[in-house]
Amino acid sequence: MAMKPEEILRAIAAARGDAICVPTMTTSPAWRSLAPDDLSIGCVGFMGGASSLGLGLALAMPRRRVIVFDGDGSLLMQLGSLATIAGAAPRNLTHLLFKNGVYHTSGSQDIPGGLSVDFVQMAKGAGYRKAYAVSDFEDFKRRLPSMLTDEGPLLVELHTGLADKTPMTDRGGQPFHQQVESLYQKLHKAG
Amino acid sequence: MPESIPAPLIIDTLKDTFREARGGSTREPLGWILSVPDTHQKSVLAALDKERALRVVTCATEDEANAIGAGLWIGGEPVVLMIQHAGLYASVNTLRGVAMDGRVPMFYMIGLLQRERDRDPKESRHSMVRFAEPLLDTFGVPHARLEGPDDVHLIPEYFRLSRARRGPAAVLVGLETS
Repeated sequence: MAMKPEEILRAIAAARGDAICVPTMTTSPAWRSLAPDDLSIGCVGFMGGASSLGLGLALAMPRRRVIVFDGDGSLLMQLGSLATIAGAAPRNLTHLLFKNGVYHTSGSQDIPGGLSVDFVQMAKGAGYRKAYAVSDFEDFKRRLPSMLTDEGPLLVELHTGLADKTPMTDRGGQPFHQQVESLYQKLHKAG
Repeated sequence: MPESIPAPLIIDTLKDTFREARGGSTREPLGWILSVPDTHQKSVLAALDKERALRVVTCATEDEANAIGAGLWIGGEPVVLMIQHAGLYASVNTLRGVAMDGRVPMFYMIGLLQRERDRDPKESRHSMVRFAEPLLDTFGVPHARLEGPDDVHLIPEYFRLSRARRGPAAVLVGLETS
């Protein structure tokens, strides 16, 4: 049985410490409720940009872990970012790919290639330090600590079902510019 | 008539711009160049390969460069994007979503490949050259032309402008750098 995205996010919220998190698309509504006022910034309004936004944060703040909650449809929009990330080689970047095979937000149309697209092989081919897939929640919980501490760039393909909410069914959340400002202030206030 | 700008002059200007952005600090890297390789600015990119004070990240697309730039700026790092006019056209949604809607200072150096020496860019025979300034105008992005070595002062000026207005600003590199 596919993992529930909300269960995965709940486990990450409990374990991530002071990591910066970058949710996008269907991870955004759940993450807002789990971590409503923290070091997070959603990729809103430029689908496919989460991995690159996370890369910029990781390069700017090399002592802090950055975790991207990407989607399979989203990553396909900026697939070259795998090579760009591998080339920049941020040791503090964890790239979690929530793979459900569809564009859930727009009505669950299949992504090109559906579930057969192998992002683990793509990440390895691009030059990520490590990439693997997880399809069982107990296995995910067991491996989570290393996902947050292993040298990156690390990609973990998470085989999930659909989230309960999408950005279209749960439209809350701050506009992107407010998230930018909020994270900027928190990072620089904290020194 | 426009003149080519030597790469060392551009690089020295970028270093000064970044030092100023860091309040005079000489911490390295002084700043970040996010580049989608541009034929027009290739002499600058080649010289940057030998630079230790500036860090270059080569991006696969201009969309990536915009989003990486946002992350770097949020993290406190000064950034310049070096792209080509074709890349500007390719990435307008990200420019809008990141630099404009996100109110992220984003400074672009945009190469006008195929810009004719004897013709105003707005009258160019090449659509890539002709539409660059009108596109920036449509999006309300302030821009200036780098028409020769005397214009490099526009680099820090428009970099500062992007920060002051919390959004995009651009300089257009008229002739291929030397």
